[in-house]
Amino acid sequence: MYPTTFKLRKLIGVCFLALYLLLGVPLWYKLTTTYRAPLPIEYIQALHDDRLHDIHMVIPVYLKCDSYKFPDLHKAVQVQVNSLLDTKDQGIPWSLQLMPYDAEKLQDSNNLNGSDYHVVNLVLDEAVGFSLAYDTKETTVFFDDPSIITNDLPFFIAQTLVEHAFELEWSVLSGDERLEVTNSMAISYRPNIHLSISLLTGDGYPVSWEIDSTLKKYFSPLRKFLSPLVNFTVDTGILYYNDLNLHTLNNRQNVTWKDLSHAVDLSELLSMNYFSEAASLNLAIVFPSEQNSKDGFNFINDNWYSFLVPQWGMLTINKYPLKQNSSLTENYLTPIMYQFATDIFQLLGLKKDSQELTSPCITIDSFRRITILQNIHKAEETLWSLVKLTQSFQTMSIPEEVLGNVTEALDLRLQIIDMLNDPLQGGDESWNRALILSNKLVELSEAAFFHGEMVQQNFFPQEHKLAVYLPLLGPITVVTFFGFIRLIKEKPDGKKRHSNGSEKSSEIEGKKSN
Amino acid sequence: MMLGIWRYLLVVLLVIQPVFGLVESKHTNNWAVLVSTSRFWFNYRHMANVLSMYRTVKRLGIPDSQIILMLSDDVACNSRNLFPGSVFNNQDHAIDLYGDSVEVDYRGYEVTVENFIRLLTDRWSEDQPKSKRLLTDENSNIFIYMTGHGGDDFLKFQDAEEIASEDLADAFEQMYEKKRYNEIFFMVDTCQANTMYSKFYSPNILAVGSSEIDESSYSHHSDVEIGVAVIDRFTYYSLEFLEGIEKDSNVTLQDLFDSYTFEKVHSHAGIRRDLFQRDPKDVLITDFFANVQNVIPDQGKEEAIAAAASKVNDAGENDLFGPNVLNLALERTTRESKNSTDNVTSRWVPHFTKTRQLNGNDFTRVVSSDNTYPRIIAVVTILLTSAVYCLIPRSGTPKPTTKEQRLPYM
Repeated sequence: MYPTTFKLRKLIGVCFLALYLLLGVPLWYKLTTTYRAPLPIEYIQALHDDRLHDIHMVIPVYLKCDSYKFPDLHKAVQVQVNSLLDTKDQGIPWSLQLMPYDAEKLQDSNNLNGSDYHVVNLVLDEAVGFSLAYDTKETTVFFDDPSIITNDLPFFIAQTLVEHAFELEWSVLSGDERLEVTNSMAISYRPNIHLSISLLTGDGYPVSWEIDSTLKKYFSPLRKFLSPLVNFTVDTGILYYNDLNLHTLNNRQNVTWKDLSHAVDLSELLSMNYFSEAASLNLAIVFPSEQNSKDGFNFINDNWYSFLVPQWGMLTINKYPLKQNSSLTENYLTPIMYQFATDIFQLLGLKKDSQELTSPCITIDSFRRITILQNIHKAEETLWSLVKLTQSFQTMSIPEEVLGNVTEALDLRLQIIDMLNDPLQGGDESWNRALILSNKLVELSEAAFFHGEMVQQNFFPQEHKLAVYLPLLGPITVVTFFGFIRLIKEKPDGKKRHSNGSEKSSEIEGKKSN
Repeated sequence: MMLGIWRYLLVVLLVIQPVFGLVESKHTNNWAVLVSTSRFWFNYRHMANVLSMYRTVKRLGIPDSQIILMLSDDVACNSRNLFPGSVFNNQDHAIDLYGDSVEVDYRGYEVTVENFIRLLTDRWSEDQPKSKRLLTDENSNIFIYMTGHGGDDFLKFQDAEEIASEDLADAFEQMYEKKRYNEIFFMVDTCQANTMYSKFYSPNILAVGSSEIDESSYSHHSDVEIGVAVIDRFTYYSLEFLEGIEKDSNVTLQDLFDSYTFEKVHSHAGIRRDLFQRDPKDVLITDFFANVQNVIPDQGKEEAIAAAASKVNDAGENDLFGPNVLNLALERTTRESKNSTDNVTSRWVPHFTKTRQLNGNDFTRVVSSDNTYPRIIAVVTILLTSAVYCLIPRSGTPKPTTKEQRLPYM
């Protein structure tokens, strides 16, 4: 029985040690290491370095001529457009796909959805010229007979399209400008923007304003017009006893715009925290207090004057205070709303100066495309930042959801690019869908970057880990190793029995002699 | 007429600006993060420091929505406070720092290193309210002020944990990566404060600290009635300087730095400017401590009035080339419908290969999402081990043998 027990004990000892070393240690290591999901680093880096060259945006354009029939004009224009586009280095490749006007196909879409595609209308006239439509995506090119004889017409059309109709693409995608937005006036693009319209009066007299009907009449159409691009939510409110601190300027002579910048206090209007939208624009209509400035604001010469506050909104300052129980009518509010509508285009980045948009439909269409590309660029940069971050902080965990978001974002990116590259698509609906998807893309990439769990282990030093695990692992290690050493040192059972046997025989001998 | 002059003034100012050498900041909004990292009554002065800074930036126009205030907030209503509900930073009790509306964003045990890092990097769960987030962008100038008890490369947070200078540097780097700031001005008032910014490596950060390594940062004076020190020296002299600043002041950060002398602060204030692109001589105090909203006189008011008038008078008339987009918007009826591009009969060959075909969409790696295996193995191992332990013969255990057990062998 003895030899068997000793061997069994030894075997169990070895088993424990093996279990400790072969299973316990790897298991402990596995369970305590921070989980870092494997991100597609190389792919994202390739995107950042622009090595894939997978974007080539194609915009379909239809040529329509009622006076003559040109069977191969679209091909000639295509050649001219391509050579014109090649004259500049294209930061992001793009091209126009010229096609003959297909009445059946376009009629269908036009009937249903306004003008879906960009159409070039060729009109025989006495001179050569062009005009961009105000309310449709239509370019009219006027031509005369000599231009056909000299074969100049394709070039005219190409020039009109590239340099005028698609001017925004031409300047942004083919120019030196980058996709990064560097406009200090406009807010960065967001699909949802909150509009806060406030009436401020320096006194506490009750005031009413016909803002509801004015907005419905004059602002709702604009909202609808911009709805493919931006979704506006609007709130209105009246603030009493607040003239934005402008009464302090009353005592000063020669007020400059800089003085106004320093005096105006917009802190009570910066209420973006209360809305769920990430961005907000404001319109504030200010009236002085009757007590503080009886003769109104000295520095305003007209009845009212409006100011543009970069990335904030519009400020309308009235000269004279409101009387008791005043009511602001639609007639008063309408010009302000008009001005605000013009400013909104500037605040959204649709135009850079205060010049009126001559062809808003075409501009918005181009802006939508630029926004899609900007969104893709933004998402790529965010993912690249995420990769750089995870590379430089090796102890930071990368949860599974981050990988999920990244994968989904990259999939979505390819989906959008497929849409952009496909010359068969390119109607209003497909641009809208691409924009919606690109907004989702930005959202996903930001969700991956700003994942809440990626911060926890960052400031947790390695020695703290040891301090936490030592009380647990110490006793187990001591018991296992010292137990094993003791087992090794123990003499085999045979020797033990031999020594026990000799002791026994001597004892018996002793008893016998007794 | 005056407003007409403004436009010319604007142009003139833009032209002559480089002559004066003042490099204007590119920011359009200002944020402030003010942190007192200590708690308990005897650290009254840290609370007063941070509330004084809060009062200053608020006075200079940074709205509450753009100030993140982190403090333990346990002195105003402390039972030892002889002036309940008030916090003073001077024994003359001239300004009650707690008097006006103070919006504390993180108080008590919310002031932790984790929350601070989360705040800077904006990594929160979805339900974090907007008012408690630092929603900055590439146009934001951020003023970060920290005060508390610190040491070589660390700053204690409420006697429970500490933030290391590396953590702070890494957090700034993450902000930089995601373009969450234009410029940062970092100010820290604690013992060995200059070590806190020593590890920074992200660009556009200007840092100032109250004391060198192995140097203490001292309090300014005690208030006999309150019974403890009420303000620190470095902050006291910073505030003394800032009190003279208005929103239109042209004083620069260099002037502030020049005002720190050893005689005043009793320690060597340090400045780190190698990461910052502009010279502090060109940086206005108001670039960080104030929120100055630029206003630009609007143009085209007359057109707007004319457009509105024409609209009101001839509501029925359609003017396609009218001066305002609203005309268009009013006329344009939005008809939503589905455009079936599938039915299109193509008469041309697509010139471009589909991206998906090009790239094969092979960027994703297959990852085993089954995380439960290691856990199952661990549980089975423990169960097996216990079973083996129970099965070990008792003879194997070295127990002293009793007389009864020994007898049969004797």
